[in-house]
Amino acid sequence: MLPLSALLLGLLALALAWPVPAVLSRARWPRRDPVAALVCWQAIGLAGGLSIIGALLVHGLSPWGGSLPEAWWAWAQHWFTGELPAQPVRGDHWVAQTLAAVLALELLGVLALALVRTARTRARHRALLELLVHPVPGVEARVLDSPVPAAFCIPGARPLLVLSSGMVEEFAPDELAAVVAHERAHLGERHHLLLLPFVAWREALPVLPAADRAHDAVRDLVEMRADDVALRSLPRSAARRTLARAIVAAAEGGAPTGALAAGGGVLTARVTRLLDPPEPLPRWGRPLAVGAAVTLVLAPTLLLLAPALV
Amino acid sequence: MESLGELERSVMDQLWSRAVPLSAAELRDALADRGLALTTVHTVLTRLEGKGFVRHDDARPRRFAAVASREDHAAELMHEVLGQAADRQAVLARFIGSATPGETEMLRALLADTP
Repeated sequence: MLPLSALLLGLLALALAWPVPAVLSRARWPRRDPVAALVCWQAIGLAGGLSIIGALLVHGLSPWGGSLPEAWWAWAQHWFTGELPAQPVRGDHWVAQTLAAVLALELLGVLALALVRTARTRARHRALLELLVHPVPGVEARVLDSPVPAAFCIPGARPLLVLSSGMVEEFAPDELAAVVAHERAHLGERHHLLLLPFVAWREALPVLPAADRAHDAVRDLVEMRADDVALRSLPRSAARRTLARAIVAAAEGGAPTGALAAGGGVLTARVTRLLDPPEPLPRWGRPLAVGAAVTLVLAPTLLLLAPALV
Repeated sequence: MESLGELERSVMDQLWSRAVPLSAAELRDALADRGLALTTVHTVLTRLEGKGFVRHDDARPRRFAAVASREDHAAELMHEVLGQAADRQAVLARFIGSATPGETEMLRALLADTP
């Protein structure tokens, strides 16, 4: 018989693989509080991985014991003693064990690979940039000679913020300050670390639409968060409009990419919330979201560690 | 004492602006105002070769040239920054116009509509 905890973990995994990300990515409240939504997405990623691997493990090890710590111990011992448990070990138990191991290795392996590859690409970009960029008086960033208006930063221990000369020439000084403040916000809050697991898992699980959804949502939310942080360091009166103008100017200078998203892409969402700020969440909104996120991570953890619920 | 990074920049600037292969001694003379030892110039060139910015020929003495022009490197970098690969690998945080088709008009209208 399937242990109850494996069943519950499986159901949780299913919910996190499809309906929960679908609902959250369509919800309107995340743009009112990107931080709360980012916490929720991280929790969904973590709890999703824990519950699917946990469900397979608990089922695979169920002949050895009802709770995971107990079963794992007995399972580890059987390799030395050769003793098989009293309950028969069927083929599906071995399959579940193998799948759990493969999935855990794949998720962690792809994450490690993404870390290494990203670090290597960044190092190469940094080496190139250190030879190519030059300081420009009055601009709080290094400048790269290129006509396309663009700004970007290389995160890391010594972050590097770069503006293209095209942007420096075409943007008004207050727009440039807004761009720099936005990029500094990415660097300061280490947004690349929030995004990296989702980049890796989208690659690891190409068949899972939730992985795509989660990645796109997190990518867009960190942009909105960076806008919010940038506003704080800009002159109060016109900050929202200046940043919105900078976003539109960058969109006009760049080549259009991708397919037309329904209702416009993230740029439209960002400009709209800058010009016409949505009501902030009620005071209980963020605690509720964070509480839900914590519960989401605790649930599979408890199901895994708590004594058997059989 | 200048940092190696600063010296690398000066050497590349020389190689880029002269556009002909130069020997280490010629580079030292071109950078005479810095008073570099020949070994220092060699160290810098070796580092630049390791990074893939410089290559040398088999003449005696060896002459060094830039692998690509400054503009080519800048264009290549911008291509990577603007391309989808940067997004896939989360290498950079970018502030660029990745507007979807038709979105630019929508954005302009938004900006015009709100006071």
